[in-house]
Amino acid sequence: MARLGMVIDLQKCVGCGACALGCKTENNTPNRDVKNGQTFNWADFMFKTEGTFPNVSYTAIPVLCNHCSNAACVAACPVKDKAMYKTENGITMHNDERCIGCRKCQRACPYSAIDIVKSDTGYSVISFNKRKVETHAEYRDKTEMIPGCTASGAEIAEKAGATPPYETKYTHPDYESVRRPGVVEKCIFCAHRVAQNLMPACVEVCPSGARIFGDLDDPNSAPSKALAEHKSFRLKEEAGTEPNVHYIRSFKKG
Amino acid sequence: MKMKRRTFLKASATVGAVAALSGPQLNAFAESARPSKGVSSAAGEWKKTTCQGCTTWCPAEVLVQDGRAVRVRGNQLSKQNQGFLCPKGHLSLQLLYDPDRVKVPMKRTNPKKGRGVDPQFVPITWDEALNTIADKMMELRKAGTPEAFAVLRGRYTYMRDTIYAALPKVFGSPNGISHSAICAEAEKFGSYYTAGYWGYRDYDLDNTKYLLIWGCDPVSSNRMIPATIRAFGDLLDRGAIAVVDPKLTTSAAKAQEWLPIKPGEDGALATAMAHIILTEGLWNKEFVGDFTDGKNLFKAGQEVDEATFTETYTNGVVKWWNIELKDRTPEWAEKITGIPKEQILRVTRNMAKAAPNVAVWLGPGAAMHVRGAYTAMAIHALNGLLGSVDAEGGALATAKIPVNKIPKFDAYQDELAKEHSHMKKIDLRGSKEFPALKKGKSGGGVVTNAVADNILADKPYPVKVVIGYMNNFVFSCTGAERWEKALEKIPFLAHITTHASEFTQYADIVLPACITKYEKLGYVKTKANKYATCTLVQPVVKPLWDLKMDETEIPWLIAEKLKERGFPNLLDYFTNEFKDPETGKAPTNGLEFTEYNLKNQTAPIWDGKKDIGGDKINGWADFRKRGLWNSDAYPFKKRWGHFHTKTEKFEFYSETLKEALSKHAEKHKTTIDDILETCKYEARGEHAFVPHYEAPYRWGDRNEYPFDFVDYKSRLNREGRSQNAPWYQEFKKVDPGDESWEDVVKINPADAKKLGIADGDMVKLTSVVASITVKAKLWEGIQPGTVAKCYGQGHWAYGRVAAKNYATFEPRGGNNNYLMPYDTERLSGSNVRNGGFTGVKIEKV
Repeated sequence: MARLGMVIDLQKCVGCGACALGCKTENNTPNRDVKNGQTFNWADFMFKTEGTFPNVSYTAIPVLCNHCSNAACVAACPVKDKAMYKTENGITMHNDERCIGCRKCQRACPYSAIDIVKSDTGYSVISFNKRKVETHAEYRDKTEMIPGCTASGAEIAEKAGATPPYETKYTHPDYESVRRPGVVEKCIFCAHRVAQNLMPACVEVCPSGARIFGDLDDPNSAPSKALAEHKSFRLKEEAGTEPNVHYIRSFKKG
Repeated sequence: MKMKRRTFLKASATVGAVAALSGPQLNAFAESARPSKGVSSAAGEWKKTTCQGCTTWCPAEVLVQDGRAVRVRGNQLSKQNQGFLCPKGHLSLQLLYDPDRVKVPMKRTNPKKGRGVDPQFVPITWDEALNTIADKMMELRKAGTPEAFAVLRGRYTYMRDTIYAALPKVFGSPNGISHSAICAEAEKFGSYYTAGYWGYRDYDLDNTKYLLIWGCDPVSSNRMIPATIRAFGDLLDRGAIAVVDPKLTTSAAKAQEWLPIKPGEDGALATAMAHIILTEGLWNKEFVGDFTDGKNLFKAGQEVDEATFTETYTNGVVKWWNIELKDRTPEWAEKITGIPKEQILRVTRNMAKAAPNVAVWLGPGAAMHVRGAYTAMAIHALNGLLGSVDAEGGALATAKIPVNKIPKFDAYQDELAKEHSHMKKIDLRGSKEFPALKKGKSGGGVVTNAVADNILADKPYPVKVVIGYMNNFVFSCTGAERWEKALEKIPFLAHITTHASEFTQYADIVLPACITKYEKLGYVKTKANKYATCTLVQPVVKPLWDLKMDETEIPWLIAEKLKERGFPNLLDYFTNEFKDPETGKAPTNGLEFTEYNLKNQTAPIWDGKKDIGGDKINGWADFRKRGLWNSDAYPFKKRWGHFHTKTEKFEFYSETLKEALSKHAEKHKTTIDDILETCKYEARGEHAFVPHYEAPYRWGDRNEYPFDFVDYKSRLNREGRSQNAPWYQEFKKVDPGDESWEDVVKINPADAKKLGIADGDMVKLTSVVASITVKAKLWEGIQPGTVAKCYGQGHWAYGRVAAKNYATFEPRGGNNNYLMPYDTERLSGSNVRNGGFTGVKIEKV
């Protein structure tokens, strides 16, 4: 039993995007589905600029699934044997096989949106793979920019032997390394890595050391210690979902 | 936990390879998180290479599963990045597997060239492509004009000398032209003519107590990015960071102090800081020395007798004061820079209090001005006054990396080659108006961007056959329209490239290149965090098509073709002089040549013959496996008393520059003052030899072009090569103020209001040379009177993501290099990109 969570030290964070890209390379998430407003960015950012010149502040806030203790997505999942559920170590897990693609989780989650463009939310923790449309469309496209001279996505995927060609292959009982059409997907704290005693990809690649991951129920864990030492906040606490991603310190030192 | 049937089947068939994964371990969960049933990672190996997305040149590793590159991280053995990369490192996977990569040699079938003209490329064989190039080259030798051949260099490794020195010179041309002056040399001028160091400085950020960042955003671009990101948060606790930049950068947003300077006025701030340091007695006495009787005679407006001051490791502090600094009061600087006097005083005093554990980080934004050379000197001179040069926490040089040069090729040059390879280069470096005083030598450096004009004017002679490699000057050089015309004019152009870039659109023959980091073999020298590193670029995956390595394999293939045509010299040189240092075997093909060449150059690193300090490498195979050699840590105070300047001191009065300018003036039989005037500088007389303030030079009358244009680098840029990656577009928003999938010009809301421009409106920006139309973003991080836009977008070719419509040449956004006119910081040869030199007007579309 554990309550896995993350503390993000905003003073260390420089908002560079390495976490977001490291996540995409580990979890093989698709590129943005522009038409349907799905980002597939399990790790993403919010940016805030406040004040007026020259007294202006800019803040980057890395965002990801908050792995809430009282997860609205889990409550909303209508499947009898829930597709979205809490694991015994606190991960808000998603099981591809049981998912029926109803997107109720996406509607219920305070950090998600059905269409991020229409809702103007900027990011969404949960994304939906459109039904009957193969994912990673770029690598299924057979057209060539300069016929006979430049490659095509499909050719690269075929020659490399994977779609996407940079697919990091792993297995997990709940999810595929590339998800199928018609299901939602989101950050699962790299459960396949955690199970192998590794840090989630976003933590591992962060060049600033801003991401502190561990068991929030263990007072001796690194994130618990960071929370004991610093004032912290969580996103949309008022939603009452008890998020387990916390933020300490501020982006600007002043 | 239920297991899906198909996953279970797959899991049982997968080779669990936990050993291939490493990194921080979750020891706390060792008990509860034993690999559970059904969890596995495919077998993989982390292979060592180097990321060349910017000039940090990070030692890197790529996780390869079943021959595919799937993950990226820093080389775990690296002492410069501690195993971490910036976002550009991860982004590069989409460049490797870009659907729009050129996969075969191509031939142009439409003789008409120009922007918006379809080259009608068709695929051809390597043989046909190389035969065509060799035929064109041989025509020049037959005509007795081999100098009309040129190699234009872009992103390189240190294997460069084969393609851009040996190839043209053995053939008979002086024209190996690098891209270096597009974005660097003015900075190096600053540290050279004060401290005798022509290179990027290293900074000991782990021990810095005050970091003054000037004209760059080192957590985003410039050099040693991951090391800076890692050190930044703790530095904010340990000491303070101040940032001088016209716009709010990420560094500025995090720092205790942001000094939003008016573009181009950096010299005023730097000289005022020096003035304060001297008048308030805050200089480092150990390094600079002191008044003989200990009484500070530096009083605003008053000259000081040089005899009263005894200098230690510096030269000419009193001369500098008398010639330049005595009137550079903070009140004066406030009026010029727009930065309140109180802030100037506060930053200077706090910084001086932390001295010598201070790093004044000089970036290109403060140097690449028309009159930026002296600004660069003034900023670097602050490190001198504060004694922070080579100090703990200060601005360092770098440890030496012992490698061999490529073997001499003189013996392989025939009479024609000997004679013609000594002709003037086509950048006309060292001419009266382009001193390019690299390392003290007139014409010592390249003037990359002058080449377009010279091609158009047939100066100093016509250029007829050009090979460009991994360069895109028509996109990356300011005054880009000149390059369009120049490239149209070149009778035969071959391009070695991974993508059909803008430059490619003018090519007659296109050769598909291996991509650096993933498919190429070579090495680079780099430094950060006190360590110099020799790091290998390695083919971690096999190319999906028949691609060749640009700097070595292609020259070999060309040499074979030249030999077939009766000119064996180049192939003889490659065959005879690049034998495997271990077996003595001569290379028989381009790949062997590449490997032996690399082994020869890096031999001192791995052959164990000489103690070179740093990592102990046990032979060639061990070097390939480790991927790098780390030097010993740079020793503090190494250069004190041994600066590579004329006086061997840190020069506030630059005898080194005086000599360089004198020699250049003598060469052109004129005075130094005339040279300065020719080079658009205001200084005359003794001012020429000290760091001093120069009013910014600006293209465009303020009434007609009221806004100063601020150009800077996206943190995702990979030097202009990453825009076809969807991830680049998706995360463009990580550049402060920017929007994903857009190329926005940031305008202060107060200015926008006056112009009736709303957020998201399309606006036309016009300079004296061109217009671009982009989306407006109202943003408070931009000071009124300026507008800012990242360089990177605006591709009208390159690929189907980079361009909005490749087929119709419609760009995504606008390229800053059309807007910015071509101008040069002439003393260094550096292209000008900053300092508010481009005036623009804004109109709502």
